[in-house]
Amino acid sequence: MIRLENATKSYSAEVTALRDANFDIAKGEFVFLVGPSGSGKSTMLRLMNRQERPEKGAVWVAGRNINDMPDSKVPHLRRNIGNIFQDYKLLSNKTVFENVAFALEVIGKPRHVIRQQVPAVLELVGLGGKTERFPHQLSGGEQQRVSIARAFVNRPLILLADEPTGNLDPATGEGIMRLLDRINKTGTTVVMATHDQRIVNMMRKRVIQFDRGVIVRDQARGVYE
Amino acid sequence: MISRIRYTFREMWASLSRNLTLTAAAIITSTVSLFLFGGTLLIQRAFDNQLKLWTGGVEMIVYVKHGAAADQVALIQSALTDQNVVESADYCDEVCSTAVATSLFATDQAALEQLLPQIPSFFKVKPVDKGSSELLRSLKSQFLQLPNVQDVRTPDDAVDLLSQLKDFFGVRTLVLSVVLLFASALLIWNTIRTAMFARRREIEVMKLVGATNWFIRLPFMLEGLLQGIVGATLGSGALLLVNDNWTSGVKGFPANSGLKAFVVTDGYPVWVCFWMILLGAFVGAVGSATAASRFLDV
Repeated sequence: MIRLENATKSYSAEVTALRDANFDIAKGEFVFLVGPSGSGKSTMLRLMNRQERPEKGAVWVAGRNINDMPDSKVPHLRRNIGNIFQDYKLLSNKTVFENVAFALEVIGKPRHVIRQQVPAVLELVGLGGKTERFPHQLSGGEQQRVSIARAFVNRPLILLADEPTGNLDPATGEGIMRLLDRINKTGTTVVMATHDQRIVNMMRKRVIQFDRGVIVRDQARGVYE
Repeated sequence: MISRIRYTFREMWASLSRNLTLTAAAIITSTVSLFLFGGTLLIQRAFDNQLKLWTGGVEMIVYVKHGAAADQVALIQSALTDQNVVESADYCDEVCSTAVATSLFATDQAALEQLLPQIPSFFKVKPVDKGSSELLRSLKSQFLQLPNVQDVRTPDDAVDLLSQLKDFFGVRTLVLSVVLLFASALLIWNTIRTAMFARRREIEVMKLVGATNWFIRLPFMLEGLLQGIVGATLGSGALLLVNDNWTSGVKGFPANSGLKAFVVTDGYPVWVCFWMILLGAFVGAVGSATAASRFLDV
């Protein structure tokens, strides 16, 4: 599903965010990217959805080298990738329903599809009864669930999550991880950057560890070290 | 498709109402600049009307008495064209002369009614050497001697002054309106930039969920287009109003004021308004399209 071949990304002559990264992620895998701040986890996620391009090497997603992909094709790539963020990135002037519907609306889905898919995904994330609330009327955990619903509503092949539990208390964070696990079990590949040791150790999924832009460990059913 | 159209117009409207003051500023600037642009065209046209008798290379008009017979007119024509110093002498009979007078005295019905019963026909005479005032004077005195010639008119200082005024105002108002048009395009550009910055989070989300750049740009481009069109429409309305007021005002001027024909009464103002709206739409579209393309990565 995702393959990196000697991917290298620098932001300046002094700062190399990622150096010669190589790995394969199979369809339906759940992978943690771990490491301290600035180790290259977020850069890795940005390479996977073509927010960044590597100077060297290749990034393959769903069988296509996305470095060579023309800019006009990038939106179509991103329709197969859901993104979840630490700060949720919800639109404060839209309700829960509208925030999720927005993701379908801007890719031109017809109204009847939106009316069908949005309530279903909100039920899945446990927010079926809060569709008309605005983000400021929700807890942090609920806001993150809206963010997950928005990322998953189009049934993407891949979910990229950047510190999704970073702003949440441990119990709420565990609830979010259970939700991501359920989504993963539907066949969606999940790649999650985190430095939440407790979560990684609880889930026992594949762990790719970064240190100053270099992959130092790639372990199946790994733990945080 | 319908959902896309609905989305585009809804977002355009939301953006317009969110930046109300900037939107108003952009529209007012478009209105003023396009009003000036349209005004320039109308002023030029009014000068043209005023100078109509003396433009097109005609340097002299020989008026033939009302009711002159065809053989008498032919005699005058041969007397004019036999001159090797005359390039051409085009005849405008009484029907043609009536049409010209109706156009020139459109705002002064009383003067027209007084003129029509005794309206002369005329020859537009182009001398070979148009720059020689001595030749014009000599021809004038010569033609005045011809039987059935009522009068001979040549350009005088007032006409020269009118031509100079036309050039003076024409160039300066045109330059000013072009500068203001550029300013309104810049203001629309800035409005769109601000609107995009205000909605940077939405744009970021849109890009991440796979909206195409055109889908994101379109509401902003329509916003600029609408600002240009609304500005142009207001400017057109103002121009028609001012033109109407001026035309009514000219009716009250004394007959010898020399400004009776300094009006635009045919369909020209409507035609100018049509072009103003097209120009407003163009300025709005260019300003917003440039901004929407440039600041998409907010």
